[in-house]
Amino acid sequence: MKRITTVLMVCAMLLMIGAAALHAQDVDKLNYPKLNPIQIPDVEKVTLPNGMRLYILEDHMLPVFNASVRINVGGYLEPADMIGLAEMTGEVLRTGGTEKWTGDEIDEMLEGVGGSVETSIDRLSGNARVNVLSEYTDLGLEVLAEILRNPTFDADKIDLAKVNQRSGISRRNDDPQQLAIREFLKVIYGPESVYARHAEYKTINAVTREDMVAFHDQWFHPENIQIAVWGDFKSDEIIEKIKQYFGDWEKGNVTVPEPPQVDYDYDQHVYYAEKADVNQSNVLVGHLGGLVTDPDYADRIVMNSIFGGSFGSRMFNNVRSKEGLAYATFGSYTANISYPGVFIGFASTKSETTGKAVKEIVKQVEGMQNNPPTEDEMRMGKDGYLNSFVFNFDNRAEVVNRMMNYDFYDFPEDFLAQEKEKVEKVTPEAVVAAAKRNLHPDKLRVLVVGNKADFEMPLDSLNMGPVTEIDITIPSGEEKNELAITPENLARGAELIEAAAVAHGGTANFAAVKTMNVKAQVTVSTPQGEFPFPIESTDVLPDKSCTIANMMGTKIYDIRDGSKGWKTIAPGQIGEKTEEDILDEKKAQLRDLVWVFSHLKSDPYFQAVYEGPGQLDNKAVEWVTLVDMQSETICRLAFDPATKMVVGRSYWGSGMMGGEGTITESFETYTEAGGIKLPGKVVRNMDGQKMAVMEIQEMTVNGDVSPDLFNEPTL
Amino acid sequence: MKRKATGLMLAALALALTVVPSVSAFDFTEVENQVVEHTLNNGLKVLIVPRHEAPVASFVTWSNVGSVDDPKGYTGLAHMFEHMAFKGTTTLGTKDIDAELKAIALEDSLFMKLRAERNKGMLADSARVAELEEQYNAAREASYELVVPNEFGNVVDREGGVGLNAFTSSDQTVYFFSLPSNKVELWMALESERFLNPVLREMYKERDVVAEERRMRTESNPIGKAIEEFLALSFKAHPYGVPGIGHMSDIMYYSRLEAKAFFEKYYGPSNLTIAVVGDVNPKDVIKLAEKYWGRIPYRPAPERIATVEPKQIGERRMVMEDPAQPVYLAGWHIPEITHPDRTAVDMLMQYLGQGRTSKLYESMIKEKKIAIQVGAFSGFPGDKYATMCLMYAMPSQGHDNYECEEEIFAAVEKAKSELVTPEDLDKMRARAKASFINSIASNNGLAMQLCQAQQYYGDWREMFKQLDDINAVTAEDIQRVANEYLTKDNRVVVMMNTAKS
Repeated sequence: MKRITTVLMVCAMLLMIGAAALHAQDVDKLNYPKLNPIQIPDVEKVTLPNGMRLYILEDHMLPVFNASVRINVGGYLEPADMIGLAEMTGEVLRTGGTEKWTGDEIDEMLEGVGGSVETSIDRLSGNARVNVLSEYTDLGLEVLAEILRNPTFDADKIDLAKVNQRSGISRRNDDPQQLAIREFLKVIYGPESVYARHAEYKTINAVTREDMVAFHDQWFHPENIQIAVWGDFKSDEIIEKIKQYFGDWEKGNVTVPEPPQVDYDYDQHVYYAEKADVNQSNVLVGHLGGLVTDPDYADRIVMNSIFGGSFGSRMFNNVRSKEGLAYATFGSYTANISYPGVFIGFASTKSETTGKAVKEIVKQVEGMQNNPPTEDEMRMGKDGYLNSFVFNFDNRAEVVNRMMNYDFYDFPEDFLAQEKEKVEKVTPEAVVAAAKRNLHPDKLRVLVVGNKADFEMPLDSLNMGPVTEIDITIPSGEEKNELAITPENLARGAELIEAAAVAHGGTANFAAVKTMNVKAQVTVSTPQGEFPFPIESTDVLPDKSCTIANMMGTKIYDIRDGSKGWKTIAPGQIGEKTEEDILDEKKAQLRDLVWVFSHLKSDPYFQAVYEGPGQLDNKAVEWVTLVDMQSETICRLAFDPATKMVVGRSYWGSGMMGGEGTITESFETYTEAGGIKLPGKVVRNMDGQKMAVMEIQEMTVNGDVSPDLFNEPTL
Repeated sequence: MKRKATGLMLAALALALTVVPSVSAFDFTEVENQVVEHTLNNGLKVLIVPRHEAPVASFVTWSNVGSVDDPKGYTGLAHMFEHMAFKGTTTLGTKDIDAELKAIALEDSLFMKLRAERNKGMLADSARVAELEEQYNAAREASYELVVPNEFGNVVDREGGVGLNAFTSSDQTVYFFSLPSNKVELWMALESERFLNPVLREMYKERDVVAEERRMRTESNPIGKAIEEFLALSFKAHPYGVPGIGHMSDIMYYSRLEAKAFFEKYYGPSNLTIAVVGDVNPKDVIKLAEKYWGRIPYRPAPERIATVEPKQIGERRMVMEDPAQPVYLAGWHIPEITHPDRTAVDMLMQYLGQGRTSKLYESMIKEKKIAIQVGAFSGFPGDKYATMCLMYAMPSQGHDNYECEEEIFAAVEKAKSELVTPEDLDKMRARAKASFINSIASNNGLAMQLCQAQQYYGDWREMFKQLDDINAVTAEDIQRVANEYLTKDNRVVVMMNTAKS
């Protein structure tokens, strides 16, 4: 009896497993109930009299109010020497406050109710998002309206945006994948293209508050703005509310230029960017991609899925599963609406298999043209798209945002349904034809980011065109003006310096300067506020100096005696000057008017090159660049065209809080002693932000100086 | 019109700033009451929430096993198994299962011989290694010939599945995707089978993939490097200190046999929870769960790890140099999620380092501008066992880790000596409520949260109690936990400074 029971149990178990064991082909035999009908919710469209377009969709599942805003603006509209203007405007729009509230007050209000309003400006669009519990719908809408209509671009938050940008630049080569994608876009679209270019220190430094205000004024008008809202509200009520906050915004009249065309010549080329501190290469292979409106877009949906879009795609099966070359791999012929996407095959692989990975990707690209899709692949590509179609409508946010985008681009509302019909008809032949038409396996650009010392083969042996190394060194923000060092400009420069020397008291008086003593008040601007302290500086020309600052009772020394010197390195601690310090001082002599006015003719390494007319603090000036060829330093001087007085200067230097930048000084008053006039009140800015003010209280020329001043200080 | 009278502005501001979080709270019991729970005889827990907004459903298999359970010498095995769970079954992914199983057996035996020889180190016979390598490579390619690659993924794709993926964290391994809601049976059949009859095919090729994943996430990524060091420094006894991806030498060492044994031990039905959220009928779902998941025989759930991290007796600090820009991490030991102090610790972290009005954001980003990113959170790397809270900073250009550390420590000291204000408490409660509501908006999000509560508390209902817990925490509680846990001796610091080139 016991045996029979056991046998029966085993049979039952076998039967159960047998009944349910699932072969791939058995999946087709499963009987599914009919899918409940896809209810495509109706988006209500409203255009306000001022041209602002609204897209409304009720969603009562949760007590939440959401809005998504599309602004017809983008980084492509910013000048090439101000890359970052759009992105920073997008940030400071939200952080920099409005006429009614400061940015910090907005933070408090929103976080106080667990809500958020965020803004950004990308390459091709501006965006805002609101998410609040529905009981705070009014707050969310009012903050949104204030931000879009009345931003005040607080200077401190512009500083913060610049700190963010500069820090981002300094960190941009740390993550190899981020680096690789950035450089690949440049390889495809060109480094200057609005679809690939990125900020540098220089372009960030060039942006002022006025530029942001002007950028906002120029593009933010109601007819350029679309707002999609979804959530727990009644449509007619939300429309009334939106009218209340945006209805009286006056229509502008500006034509937003279309994003530019892309010029592309297919060629074969290998690019390499060195990242010596990694053991894995990022390999990107491709060329220009296409448009969503291309006639074979549907064929390419299937092609992409088979090529590299999912688990089970050819890239995944071969590069990852079969060859074990990569964890991260994909491939796609991407398409955009307003400009061509890219075709890309990607893998990150250990340094030692870099060449192999390139070859494997190329093989898969070729395979798309030569090996027609199998029946299974067609099922994956086509059925996958068709069976997952319902996920285009499974949440309201997607539906209403899609309607907003379609409307922007004048797409038919049923664009997706049209594409679906086309995908249903795609054949294996059409996929091969699309691959032959769009893919160019013999004209691929390859980008490798990695450490070539460990590659298993040199990149030129790939035989995929010339190999060019991309220099990813982050350029310093220093202005590199192309100086026209012509005899004319040298003569005009010297002439201006001489005229200025006369205006400032005469060359004879400058040549007679033996000692100088200056007592001044310095006020530095820090994030904690203004911070004043006295400073006294004594010079015995040519190479002795002693500067003592008194900061809250602590003396800070800086002493130079010929080739030696000492300085305070920490409170209460004196250290000897290094060679580097001495060299820095040598570089700084171009900023000393006494030195400049007495050395133009006597120093063979010193040149003054006339640049031309320009501006300083919105006043017309003439610029001359002083060049010290020995220390390879420059300092630009600004002259009043009428009086020939020096009214300011600009040079590359370090800030109070670390970091380097362009320092600009404006001379507001002058102090006279010993027959010479020197700047009395100097306002110093770094990259447009106030850094310090120095005001001379007393100046003595050729007075007595104690020689003890230049000894090592004793504390 | 541009500038209104200041008095009016202040009045408006005062009004706006004192918006009182409403008491007309959203009724969470409505959602709670929709949850249907069912336990199979083999111990598998099934959680279902019907939601009929769209004809789709999200599916989650939540296994109570994570990298914390990796056997010694086999770090990363839980994650490796996660990869293997996509390789199919005895019926999916093969051209001929009998031939394939034989080929796999040969591949395994050759690999075991090879690794035993290699593992002799300097005493290994290099000729023998070369010979075995050749045989093993041939066996590996021979067994691959019998594979239908990624058939599991293909079936999911072509049937309209989206978001097919999985993750392995310290505490759990989670598998998920969504389907049109009429295909519940497909999910039941496919998913149950990979935990009934998994075939760990392509194991030795997949190890190379995992090795690349390690290079990508850790070895070639500065933040990944810093985090691995932070965990190693934080735990000397508890396996939370071991990297979830595994050490490279372990990844290259383990065999299919260990992965299979790991599966047998940890993937019994009583160690799993499945959740289905979407346009489904709970009765049908239960019926299908019985039919498909009921096939898996009962196995006892594995025990919790007994090792307790000893009390730290002094600050641990590591300073490393890297070509990358600086990264700062500071952590403190805190208890597991079920401990009564945890809600207060979580709120302390929110107060210090979450959002634009948190203390660290205000002082380090807005005011001093010494960092471009700061944050604080608790439960790292996990929550099931005593764990860490973590504060981090990315110094801004021209600033360094030391300046950031000074600010972070100052904020910590302030939290110990001063009470958070009633406004701050209100704000935290309001934010918790809003983020909870947003987190259950998606089917997948709700499914995951239910499973997580089920794992940690043994009861998914705890998910709906978190807001009550938060509302019960007082300013004194927050101050007390700051003093109790954020001490110097209990602290671990890792700083990655930029190497001078």
